[in-house]
Amino acid sequence: FTEMPTDNFVESSFWNFDALFQPQQHPARDQHDTFFLLDPAEAPQLPPGYWSKVKKVHSQGGYSSQGYRYEWKVEEAKKNLLRTHTTSASARALFQLARQEKFSPVKYFSIDRVFRNESLDATHLAEFHQVEGLVADRGLTLGHLMGVLRQFFSKLGISQLRFKPAYNPYTEPSMEVFSYHEGLKKWVEVGNSGVFRP
Amino acid sequence: DEEFDELCFEFGLELDEITSEKDIISKEKGEEKAKGASDVVLYKIDVPANRYDLLCMEGLVRGLQVFKERINLPRYEKIIPAEGEGQRLIITEQTAQVRPHAVAAVLRNITFTKDRYDSFIDLQEKLHQNICRKRALVAIGTHDLDTITGPFTYTAKAPSEIKFKPLNQSQEYTASQIMDLYRTDSHLRHYLPLIENKPRYPVIYDSNGVVLSMPPIINGDHTKITLNTRNVFIECTGTDITKAKIVLDIIVTMFSEYCEKPFTVEAVEVVYPNGKTHIYPELAYRTEKVKPEYINKKVGISETPSSLAKLLTRMCLKSHVTGNGNHLEVEIPPTRADIIHACDIVEDAAIAYGYNNIQMLIPKTYTIANQLPLNKLAELLRLDLAAAGFTEALTFALCSQEDIADKLRTDISATNAVRIANPKTAEFQVARTTLIPGLLKTIAANRKMPLPLKLFEISDIVVKDPNTDVGARNYRHLCAIYYNKSPGFEIIHGLLDRVMQVLEVPPNEENGYTIKAAEGTAFFPGRCAEVFAKGQSIGKLGVVHPDVITKFELTMPCSVLEINIEPFV
Repeated sequence: FTEMPTDNFVESSFWNFDALFQPQQHPARDQHDTFFLLDPAEAPQLPPGYWSKVKKVHSQGGYSSQGYRYEWKVEEAKKNLLRTHTTSASARALFQLARQEKFSPVKYFSIDRVFRNESLDATHLAEFHQVEGLVADRGLTLGHLMGVLRQFFSKLGISQLRFKPAYNPYTEPSMEVFSYHEGLKKWVEVGNSGVFRP
Repeated sequence: DEEFDELCFEFGLELDEITSEKDIISKEKGEEKAKGASDVVLYKIDVPANRYDLLCMEGLVRGLQVFKERINLPRYEKIIPAEGEGQRLIITEQTAQVRPHAVAAVLRNITFTKDRYDSFIDLQEKLHQNICRKRALVAIGTHDLDTITGPFTYTAKAPSEIKFKPLNQSQEYTASQIMDLYRTDSHLRHYLPLIENKPRYPVIYDSNGVVLSMPPIINGDHTKITLNTRNVFIECTGTDITKAKIVLDIIVTMFSEYCEKPFTVEAVEVVYPNGKTHIYPELAYRTEKVKPEYINKKVGISETPSSLAKLLTRMCLKSHVTGNGNHLEVEIPPTRADIIHACDIVEDAAIAYGYNNIQMLIPKTYTIANQLPLNKLAELLRLDLAAAGFTEALTFALCSQEDIADKLRTDISATNAVRIANPKTAEFQVARTTLIPGLLKTIAANRKMPLPLKLFEISDIVVKDPNTDVGARNYRHLCAIYYNKSPGFEIIHGLLDRVMQVLEVPPNEENGYTIKAAEGTAFFPGRCAEVFAKGQSIGKLGVVHPDVITKFELTMPCSVLEINIEPFV
C-alpha cells in the first residue's frame, strides 16, 4: 500500500464533504461537529471543471444516480475547515488517479490527524488520528473488502471479526467492522468501511 | 434478547441499550423516583441516518417483518377524491420570501390509541430533528380535520396581523406575542430565529379564518388532535420541496395502517400562486432495472436471479425476474427515499444475503508500494533524535491564541496563523504555527520528572498561504527542547549538528548549513541564532527568554531548536 500525501490539516468543504457526496444540509457540516475557519475562511480555488460536475450530481443526479435534488451552493463548498476525516485526502488522491492517462490499479493508505469539534471526555478528543486505506481496481467486490480487512486486523492481533451493514454518504454498501473484546466480553466497533459510490 | 440483537445486527440497526422506564428514571433521578415506573423492557435502537422509514415503531416492525418474510410489503394507495369533494390547499405568493413550499394529505377514518398517538407525535419530532434539519427545511403540522373546513390557505402575513390561540395555551396571542411567549421555552425557542426577522410570518388558515398553524413554530389549539380524532389533515411546509415530499410520504405510509381502509391515503390538491395545481402525496413507486450479474459481481456472491429477487423483496424492494432471466425489475416504494442508485440496491441485496455469509477474498491487485518521502524522512529523524537521548512528545495541533503569540512575546498578526471560527473552548482557537508551545506545555505538565528534560517533536504546523488551493498549508517541523538547571545551548547546538550529520549536510556556507547570530522575540537576546541551509532560513535555535519561561509556568532555563525539515526531503 502506497502512502498518500495528507499534510494539509486545512481543507475546503468541497474536498471534505461535497466531493464525497455528503449533502450540504448534512448535520455533520454543522457548527457543532466541524471546526470552521475564521481565517482563511474560504478556499480561493476549487478544481475547475470538477466542481461543476459535483454540483450536478448533488442537485440533479448523474452516473445513474438520482442525486439529492437540492440547490447546491458553491459558497458552502468553499468554506474552509479543519478536516474531519482523512477521506478528503483519499478523494484528492483518487482525483489525481482519474486524471492519469491510463488507469492503473492502486492501493493507498494514510495515517494522520483529523479534527472534530467535540467536547473532550474519556473517549473523545478534539484531534485524533485515523488510519485509512483504499484499493482501486477492476472487478472488486464486497468480499474483497472483507478479505483485506480480515488480513489487516489479523496483523494487529484481532482475528474474530463480524461485519454489520452501515451508512456513509460516500460508500454503498457500507460496513462497520466489529471485533470481540475478550476483556469486555462484548463486540466492539473497530472500524468502518465501504465500497465508494459510482 | 440475543435473538433480537442478532436480527438488528444483520439488518443494519444498532441495539444500543436494553433498559426499562424504571432504569432510565433510576439513572437520571435516583432509585426513589423510579418506584412505580414501568418495568416493561425497552429497546433503544439506533437507526441509520438515511432510513427515515425505520424511525417509528410501525415502520421498524414492518421492515423487520418483511425481512423475516412474515408479511408481504403492503401497497400504499393514494385515493383521489371525486371532483369538488377533496381538500384543497391554496398557496399565495407572499410565502415565496419566507417559506415557499407546501404539501398536504389526509388520513381518513383513522383510529388512534394512546400508543399510536404517542408514536405519531414522536415520528414528527424525529423527522423534524433528522431530515427537516430542526424544522429549518421542513415543518410538519397535523390537524383534526373535523374541526376545520377547507379550502385551506397558506399565506404569509405581518406578525401583528396574525392572532390565534397556540397549542395548549388558554388565550389568543398575536404572532409577535407568541415569539416573546416562547422565547424561554426550552423546546421551541430554537425555532424562533427561523422566521423572527422576516417581514411576514407563514400562516395557514381554513376557509373560516381559523388558524391551523404558524410554521415552523407552533400549531393552533383549535385543531389539536386527540385520541378521538378520526380524520387527520397533514401539511408540510418548508424551503426544500424534495424533502417536504419525502416527509409527507413517510408520515402517511407509516400511519395509514390505522385507517379504516388500511394503507390508503386521501389526496389533497395544492394550488400554486401561478394557478398550477398538483396532487399530493406523490407516493411514487419507481422501477429500476438491474442486472443480476451486476449485483453478484459487486458483492462477490453468485446467486440466481430469482433468489436475488427474493432477497430484495425481503428488504422492502419488491422485485421479479424479467427479460429472459437476465434482468431484475426492482420496485422502489415511497418509503425508501434512500435508494438513489443501483449501488443502494446492491447493498440491500448484500444485507439480505447476510454480510457475514459472504466469502472473504484478497484482491489480486499487485502494486509496488512506497512510503511518502516526507514521512520517511521524519521517521528516520525520529529514531536518530531518540538515539541522541531525547524523548518524543505528541502534542495537540490546536492551541490558544496566547500560546503562539503573547506567551512567545510576539503579536498574533505577525504569526500568519490559521484561526478557527467556532472553537468550543479557548484551547482550540488557532492552529499552531510553531511546535515550541506544545513542548513547553509538556514540560510544565512533567515538572516533577528528574532533570534534565530533553523532549522533541517532529510534526506539522499550519500557516496561511495564498498560493495553495485552500489558502493554508502544513510544514513539517522538527523541534527539540532542553530543560535543566543551566540552559544547555551547547547541547541544543550539538543536536543540530548531529541532525545535519545524519542528513549528510556539511557545515559550510556554499552547499551546507550555517548559523548566524539573530534576534528572536522568544529568545534571550544575544543567545539566539538563525539556521540557514539549502539557500534559505530554516529555523532558529537559542536560549529561551525568561519571560516566555515564566508565562508557561516553568522555573528553569531551557534552550530550544526548531527547524523546517521539508527542504531536506
